[in-house]
Amino acid sequence: MKRYASFAGAGLQALLQYRSTFLISAVTATTAVGVQVFLWRAVYAGRESGMLGGFDLPTLTTYVLLAQILGLVQANRVDEEVSGEVQRGDIAVSLVRPVSYPLARFAAGLPVSLTNAVLVAVPVLLLYAVLLPLTTPTATGVLLFVCSAALSLVIGFGVNLLVGFAGFVTTNIWGVRVVKDTVVAFFAGQVVPLALMPGPLAAVAHVLPFQGMVDGPLRLLLGHYDGLPDAAGILAVQLLWAVALSGLAAVAWRGAVRRVEVLGG
Amino acid sequence: MRALTVVTRYARLTWHLSAVSVHRLTEYRMDFLLGAGGLLLRVVCQVAVIGMVFRQVPEIAGWRYHEVLFLLGFSLLPRGLDRMFTDQLWVMARKLVQNGEFFRYLIRPVHPLFSLLSERFLYPDGFGELLTGAALTWYAAAHLELGLGTGALLLAPLLVLCGTLILASIKTLFASLAFWTTNSFPALYAANQLGDFSGYPLDLYHPSLRWLLTWLLPYAFTAYVPATYLLFGRTAMLPWLFVVTAGLVTLALAVWHRGVDRYEMTGS
Repeated sequence: MKRYASFAGAGLQALLQYRSTFLISAVTATTAVGVQVFLWRAVYAGRESGMLGGFDLPTLTTYVLLAQILGLVQANRVDEEVSGEVQRGDIAVSLVRPVSYPLARFAAGLPVSLTNAVLVAVPVLLLYAVLLPLTTPTATGVLLFVCSAALSLVIGFGVNLLVGFAGFVTTNIWGVRVVKDTVVAFFAGQVVPLALMPGPLAAVAHVLPFQGMVDGPLRLLLGHYDGLPDAAGILAVQLLWAVALSGLAAVAWRGAVRRVEVLGG
Repeated sequence: MRALTVVTRYARLTWHLSAVSVHRLTEYRMDFLLGAGGLLLRVVCQVAVIGMVFRQVPEIAGWRYHEVLFLLGFSLLPRGLDRMFTDQLWVMARKLVQNGEFFRYLIRPVHPLFSLLSERFLYPDGFGELLTGAALTWYAAAHLELGLGTGALLLAPLLVLCGTLILASIKTLFASLAFWTTNSFPALYAANQLGDFSGYPLDLYHPSLRWLLTWLLPYAFTAYVPATYLLFGRTAMLPWLFVVTAGLVTLALAVWHRGVDRYEMTGS
């Protein structure tokens, strides 16, 4: 445990060296929320009924806003750093360390997520809370959300780690990351809630792990489920994916190490 | 006459260097597919979002489905072109001034801005945007049975060119700040990010945001103004498009030159 704490410290230090990334994240999230909120407000304005897929306007605004914030917190740059290490060859150093590489990466990524949550997510949230009417969640909602958000962090980390390992196969990591960001955001429900997607598309989204990153936590927060069994079901699926992705990352890491050794002669 | 010689020389250089880039593109086929495919996928998702919006209502802020698609498609044309030719500005904003490598653009017998950009001419990732943009514009126009007159058809490429120049100028302007701050990447990124608003009808937004996107960071002229002209025949803003383009290009070049002068001083 103590070994990994030093990785957490190093991750935080690296983050604070690039303070401008906070600004970038804030502008990105603010813009993305703005584009979507304006779009949906126009939709509500053009409709007779004030409900859309079970959401009224303040609830949908809250959803869109928090979806961006969750996405921001999950963006811990693990994909970028891992692929960078692979391409520069620095990954060799990690092989001789007496720690598990995926765990060390998680330890380094966690403070990044938490710092982003405090320094970027909260200001963006406050900004929009002043500008737009939002829905206040219930205490149960908040409690369920906290558990769910923690699991979403693990899922997001697993996805990022796997994408980072793509550096072993291709040199265009930028392209891989554009593909990942797009697919994840779309099927996580970060752009459009799964409840508003047409049937087949929603079905695809439900069998993918990404819905556990945004749609799951926000359904729990906003009370978008039928009774407690349904809520427990959302959490169980998340847990399953968190475990599965961690296992997959471990296997991929082992395979990648073997490949490095072969290349190293 | 001399001006013509200069133009011909730069055109030939651009042609030659683009050919070199195409060669590189065939070498790294997988990389090209990933980059262009990634941007293509992004457009597909944007179209899907618009589709889902229009499942709920027949029109938003006075725009119908295919009109919004046309606007989105059109917005990608200058964006794709800009990405193909000015991507090196990102690298400059991030590190070329900071690590001192920028000097190598000053010792070549061409304009330093051209010299910088030429390192990444025909940057392949832009193809994805350009091709989907063209396909989307074409599809939407066919569906709307958009009967454009000869004048509009002749003007359209010019509108795309102006949009490209506006995007390139905004990028040059913010990248040039690196001459003063050594790293202007955050500022450039923030300015670029606001361009995301321009793929949707500006009528959606609060007037203050609309004003900002028209007069401060004039992204409105890269898509909204030309698209409303082609779709609805609105011409009120069209003359301003050329004024803004000319003004912005002049401003960007002026700031760039001041920055280069500054860089030379510190470099000696």
